[in-house]
Amino acid sequence: MTASTERDLTTVALIGNPNTGKSTLFGALVGVRQRVGNYPGVTVERRSGHMEFAGRKIEMIDLPGLYSLAPRSRDEMVAVDVLLGRLDQQTSVDLVVCVLDASNLRRNLYLLSQVLELGMPTVVAVNMLDVAEGRGVKIDWKELENRLGVPVIPTQAVRHVGIADLKAAIHRTADLRPTSRTGPLPAAFHQEVEQLGAWFESEQKKPGRRPIARYLVERLILDANGYLAGELFGSDAQEIRTRLEESRQRLLAAGYRIPGVETDARYAWVQEVLDGVVSEPAAGYPVTWSDRLDHVLTHRVWGSSIFAAVMVLLFQAVFAGAVPFMDLIDTAFASLGQWVETLMAPGALRSLLVDGVIAGVGGVIIFLPQILILFLFIGILEDCGYMARAAYLMDKFMSRVGLSGKSFIPMISSFACAIPGIMATRVIENDRDRLTTILVAPLMTCSARLPVYALLIAAFVPARPVLGVLGLRGLTLFALYALGIGTAVVVVLLLKRTLLRGATPPFVIELPSYKWPSLPTVLHRVVERGWLFLRCAGTMILAVSIVVWAALYFPHNAASVDAQPHLVQLRVELGQTDPGSDQYADLEARYEHERSGEFQRQSYLGRAGHAIEPVFRPLGWDWRISCAVLASFPAREIVVATLGVIFNLGDDVDAESAEGAATFGEELHAATWDHSGEKLFTLPVALSILVFFALCAQCAATLAVIRRETNSWRWPLFTFSYMTILAYVGALITYQVGTWLAG
Amino acid sequence: MVDAVIPLALLPKGRRACVSRISGQADHVHRLEEFGLRGGARIEMFRPGNPCIIRMAGNKVCLRSDDLLQVMVRLTDTDS
Repeated sequence: MTASTERDLTTVALIGNPNTGKSTLFGALVGVRQRVGNYPGVTVERRSGHMEFAGRKIEMIDLPGLYSLAPRSRDEMVAVDVLLGRLDQQTSVDLVVCVLDASNLRRNLYLLSQVLELGMPTVVAVNMLDVAEGRGVKIDWKELENRLGVPVIPTQAVRHVGIADLKAAIHRTADLRPTSRTGPLPAAFHQEVEQLGAWFESEQKKPGRRPIARYLVERLILDANGYLAGELFGSDAQEIRTRLEESRQRLLAAGYRIPGVETDARYAWVQEVLDGVVSEPAAGYPVTWSDRLDHVLTHRVWGSSIFAAVMVLLFQAVFAGAVPFMDLIDTAFASLGQWVETLMAPGALRSLLVDGVIAGVGGVIIFLPQILILFLFIGILEDCGYMARAAYLMDKFMSRVGLSGKSFIPMISSFACAIPGIMATRVIENDRDRLTTILVAPLMTCSARLPVYALLIAAFVPARPVLGVLGLRGLTLFALYALGIGTAVVVVLLLKRTLLRGATPPFVIELPSYKWPSLPTVLHRVVERGWLFLRCAGTMILAVSIVVWAALYFPHNAASVDAQPHLVQLRVELGQTDPGSDQYADLEARYEHERSGEFQRQSYLGRAGHAIEPVFRPLGWDWRISCAVLASFPAREIVVATLGVIFNLGDDVDAESAEGAATFGEELHAATWDHSGEKLFTLPVALSILVFFALCAQCAATLAVIRRETNSWRWPLFTFSYMTILAYVGALITYQVGTWLAG
Repeated sequence: MVDAVIPLALLPKGRRACVSRISGQADHVHRLEEFGLRGGARIEMFRPGNPCIIRMAGNKVCLRSDDLLQVMVRLTDTDS
């Protein structure tokens, strides 16, 4: 009895080169109901789905797209671990489906030769028949199957051609026993593998050692760089390293260089398999319409201009296209809050629901339209093949900073919102580049910073013309954007030289043939990302919103608040006014505002603002600004509302309307230091707040997404710390230099 | 000119060539080989520069080489 008949579920892993249509094939096999998660302990995406064929329940796992099954990066290590059943006891793979690109069999068979060596039941799906036929490639299917010794199924996943055959082949093959196969590597190499394998077996009896599969022994010898040895045995295990080095030396003496011996042997095998089986056009490859498109789209001038136009369009769609939806969500949540207010009696619970839960959730969902639109764009660009061209076009620029062209789209997306930007870094295969991009993405000026900028600039920066045409306000806004970008460049350069140092592997990407984007694939990805955002950012920001709400609400001591002289005074005035008059209504509204402001000033957060004032004093801030900055930890745009409340404007001042901003500005201008009566908001103070918000990481949702994407709290903590320190120092310098210049 | 070995960077647009040697760190060279870019592979320069785009077995590949990685090619024919 084999393992798969004992269990009622057959596990099938799908493996293949990138751009072989593997994901489309996966979708064709399991449909839209796919589950996406992470492999335990790593950030590699685990995509799985279920299907049934002839009464057999099958779980399909879509492995990351790979060119080789040599574990040198996390993607590759995960694929090997899954196939060898090393990852967890539940997922032991019964069968491998290897997807090959019919138009590029030579390179694709390289991966297959490694897969076959695992000795597991294997089915080969040769996909993209249309592209191959278009290029005049002809394949002798019977003979190919003969030579490979495993079922070979021609497919065209986009049109669902061959899917039923593939399912039938999976069903037929799944119960076969694993066999041991020796690969095409030379006999001397196999001898070394045998010897080492025997040694490992004797070692295995020692405590704490796990058995090492034969394929891994092979890889250990071939992996001269030591990545695999590090993964398997940690940093010590000197004896193993010495033995491996001795093996390599013996092989070198026999004329086999490591790791070149592998490619030589495997490509020789590929040549044998393909000889007489595949006929390629003798006259070279015909020029396709993809080539014609690329003549324009990768052109230095035309290509770059079109790319710029695409980016402008993307921005326009994200910023302008999302506005009506965002307004709708805003209104919906405001009315929901009002509705709850009419239903419930005033008190802590109502305040928690309205100001904590509803406002918090609304603050998250409001970004959903932007995120969905951005991912719709990115999904289309990715699926039609343009993304690789964009990476090519931007690589020259990005490589100067120390990143590759693949970091460009995530970076530019972060100008809308860092969250989709960080989620878009999944296209970057290099771990270090991906992490670097994630860590600096929040420095890009996102749309949530705009309300803060707009308000403070309008209130404090005089509308003076500079150099005739430019306005000082516009220039300030530009300077803040530039500050973010400039800081990001410096941080990248620093990270690449310190924490994330290491040799960058060569930058090679395939430019796949253009194709029409498949709507189901794109929509599926958009929904998936949107849901991921809601789930991970939503819970985090909700939790933080509730904490901040509580800190601003409690202890809610009415007696102490009502005893405040200015409130007493207002009550007296109210008593002297005719309750039916307009004046009474105005006065009553003012009283309510003052009272709620007083509650917040006496809240724990208000007291924390007082306590922390000495820390922010060198930045030119008093306790009220400090308090507002503390309260805006969950989301930086909250600072506008909090400033409004704390400076006694009531919370219904619409700072985004011109009129509201003007009132707001006047109020802030009038504010003075508590004891001296000196003006609080001077230009240096306003600038120091602006610089702080340009650099700080005041966004719980972003930190939650960083945690989700890096699978550890270490990196969000790091991001928060370094950005807060930068923000503090930046604001400090701005204020001190500004005061010195002004004085 | 037949049999001239030049760095990939100097291969003019539209010219065909055959990879003769890739030098650099062993595992980086290995990666390129696994990618299909290896001694004997026939390529055609599609867009020169760094990064450049080459055609290889009907597919297009974008490659950035640096001081640590050199691809040498041998010109095969003069027609383009």
